[in-house]
Amino acid sequence: MSFVLNGEKHSIPAEWADEPLLHFLREHHGLVGAKFGCGRGECGACTVIIDGVAMRSCITSAADVEDSEVRTIEGLADRETLHPVQSAWLEEAVPQCGYCQAGQIMSAVALLEENPAPSDDDITAAMDGNLCRCGTYQRIRKAIQRAAEASA
Amino acid sequence: MKRRTFLKVTGGSLVALFGTGAAIWSQMPVLPTRPAPDAQAAAGWISHKDGKYILTLPRIEMGQNITTSLKQIACTELGAAWNAVEVKLHNTSMQKVRSTVGSESIQYFAEPLAQACAALRDALTNGKTVRDGERIDPRPVGELKSFQRSAFDRQSPELVHGREIVTGKPLYAADIHRPGLVYGRVLRAPSSSEVTSKPKSWNINAAHVVPGFFGVIEDCGPAIGKATGLGIVASRPGALSLIADALDVEWEIDTHSPQSDIQTLINVDRHLNNGSLPHTVLEGPLQDSDWDINLRVDLSFASHGQIEPRAAVAEWIDGQLKVWAGTQDAFFHRDFLADHFGVPKGDVTVQSCRIGGAFGGKVPCSVEAEAAALARAVQRPVKVQWTREQELTQAYHRPPSSHRVKARLDNGRVSAWDHQQVSSHVIFTPFAIPKWLQSGTDLAVGDPGTARGMETAYQFARSRAQYQLERLSVHTGAWRGLGAGPNMLAAETAMDEAARIAGMDPLDFRLAHISDPRLKTVLERVGSIANWRGSAQRTMGRKRFGRGIACGIYKQVSYVATVADIILDDDGEITITHMWCTHDCGRVFNADQVKAQCEGNLAWSIGMVLCAGLPVKDGRVVAEGFSDSPVPIMSQFPEMTIDLIESSEKPVGAGETALMSGPAAIANAVRSATGIRASRFPLEPKELAL
Ligand code: FES
Ligand code: FES
Repeated sequence: MSFVLNGEKHSIPAEWADEPLLHFLREHHGLVGAKFGCGRGECGACTVIIDGVAMRSCITSAADVEDSEVRTIEGLADRETLHPVQSAWLEEAVPQCGYCQAGQIMSAVALLEENPAPSDDDITAAMDGNLCRCGTYQRIRKAIQRAAEASA
Repeated sequence: MKRRTFLKVTGGSLVALFGTGAAIWSQMPVLPTRPAPDAQAAAGWISHKDGKYILTLPRIEMGQNITTSLKQIACTELGAAWNAVEVKLHNTSMQKVRSTVGSESIQYFAEPLAQACAALRDALTNGKTVRDGERIDPRPVGELKSFQRSAFDRQSPELVHGREIVTGKPLYAADIHRPGLVYGRVLRAPSSSEVTSKPKSWNINAAHVVPGFFGVIEDCGPAIGKATGLGIVASRPGALSLIADALDVEWEIDTHSPQSDIQTLINVDRHLNNGSLPHTVLEGPLQDSDWDINLRVDLSFASHGQIEPRAAVAEWIDGQLKVWAGTQDAFFHRDFLADHFGVPKGDVTVQSCRIGGAFGGKVPCSVEAEAAALARAVQRPVKVQWTREQELTQAYHRPPSSHRVKARLDNGRVSAWDHQQVSSHVIFTPFAIPKWLQSGTDLAVGDPGTARGMETAYQFARSRAQYQLERLSVHTGAWRGLGAGPNMLAAETAMDEAARIAGMDPLDFRLAHISDPRLKTVLERVGSIANWRGSAQRTMGRKRFGRGIACGIYKQVSYVATVADIILDDDGEITITHMWCTHDCGRVFNADQVKAQCEGNLAWSIGMVLCAGLPVKDGRVVAEGFSDSPVPIMSQFPEMTIDLIESSEKPVGAGETALMSGPAAIANAVRSATGIRASRFPLEPKELAL
């Protein structure tokens, strides 16, 4: 079994196959950007992009991504050059505690790839499953608009 | 407040109760047992080598972005470039610092840091260094560069850790990896942690066949409340739930009958019928009389809902323990762990990590002790991160509260005010003090955390505020703003009602009762930015529109006023369309991040009014996830306009202030839209439906 992780092909060892993808990424691959928030698909802290779609890695098993392409927040920047969404996040100073933000960013990236000029309602619809207890939603919205403008 | 002052204000009885021994104080994390730092102490936070500086952060970073603000102060004072100062999160090898609670980081740490950095700058200019323990003579605040410049004419620098956050670098306790790491969990009985419970039997054979099973550990750290656990360890985190299922632990649970009806237990009217409430905040000489306003306000339990479930990694090497923790007080944890495992304090190091939200909930030592106990048993480093269900069932929560607020009007002014409350503990909880002391504090002092916000900021001819505490089988404790959020929701909705009955505009009515010029200013300013006077009640089609206002002073030092606009649909669903907030916390060092704190507090205000509930049955929490105990989502979020007062007053905190006025502003908007004065929070849309 294998899959593509941030552009590189990797095997899925048998003992990790039934493990949630989130743990496989964090504990086996050392990619700790995606976070454990609930393990129940309710908070979005674990969001990664699988074949172009923002997915909850806590309720996806490692085996589920066989032959798929998985992108995590660690794969967004091109070395030192940040992805426009990452830059927008810094410019708007979005993070408070920061724990939800990798998931927010991955949902935002998936949204903008599908819809480069989202309306306010499009943003809300795409982001409503990503919880932020610190209350950074207004800045998230602005950062998405900023990234959309930067890429326009 | 220093411990000494604390004893003084709460009365000599406490001294007798607590004795003067240090041992008991080390067990009290939430009490302010350590003095605020001075410049001398601050000298230990900043060091210099080869043109580079290291700032060891004396606070815990949990989203207040204090790392950025304190680094700004250091850079300004040192005359150093942003990149010349590296910030490190502290571990327990530094000099003890206070717990990171109560929005104190700017109030108590900014000036000492600035003084120490200024002294270092002067010494370096003169070709010297500041030696350990060398006396630092604090200079007048006016000579500190960081206290001269206005934060309003410059941009905030890039957030410290911002780049790491947006690129997914390890920052939090659960991100730590160690060679040979395994994963642990401590299972506990499905009962209230106030009821004695322990594991009785389990199916070890079934667990053995689960791939990744590593072991079952009976000696798995201290009980939580009275709940003794059973530890499990696995080579992969996902195996833990499978092992728990396979073990199918049978629990021995004390038959002691649980509290079945907490709502009745804290019903304020039930207690008032039996006489007056025992703890007094304001002692106005009130006789029972005709009240023009007589309002009941009840709030449910609420969880913290921080997105990061608590986590720790523990490792023993040659009898020495190292723990990576996301705690609001690394030193308390160090002392607790040393005490529990019977090792000298010097053999325990707690490294603080960035916290994924704490809000008062990450003070007690729980997951850290679990990880340390399991690590000792399996002689490997162990990572423990609570499940969401553990967060909801084993952590403490905001207590429910039941309020009765009454007021009398004479000539359009409140002539008598009475706020009565029944709730549970926030500071003197079982996590903070031993059982034998609890009855003492209940008798002698009450709980200043529960009472916070009952002291009114208004000039009333006579006012009284009293409360009573009930020990509940669901553990309660500190939540953002302690009692201030709920108390001010009750008081500021009553004030709004009083304005209506007096036939006055709620803003003017408040102004008529305020003498504090800073409170006046925030109220007037929020009225003007929200165009309060230009607005009127209206309906748009079948949608009902309303606006509300509220204000308050937090901990006697910071000032806030909020306006909320809402619309309601036929079903009573509320959409908050805009919130305006004017905020005065004295001198500001990073305006953008103070605004971020205001936004956060308004988010919490929305949660308090619209969704913050926590289901409890038979005296215990029965929630499993965010669907049971929701936090606000983006679609519930209005546009927010934050307006900071530019001030040269003493700088104070901003982490909790806006929670004084946000909830009541929303509730008052609901009143103006519907004519219904809600008395239970969170609101039930169906009670507001057409
Ligand atoms: S951790 Fe996956 S949705 Fe919460
Ligand atoms: S920044 Fe803290 S949860 Fe979103």
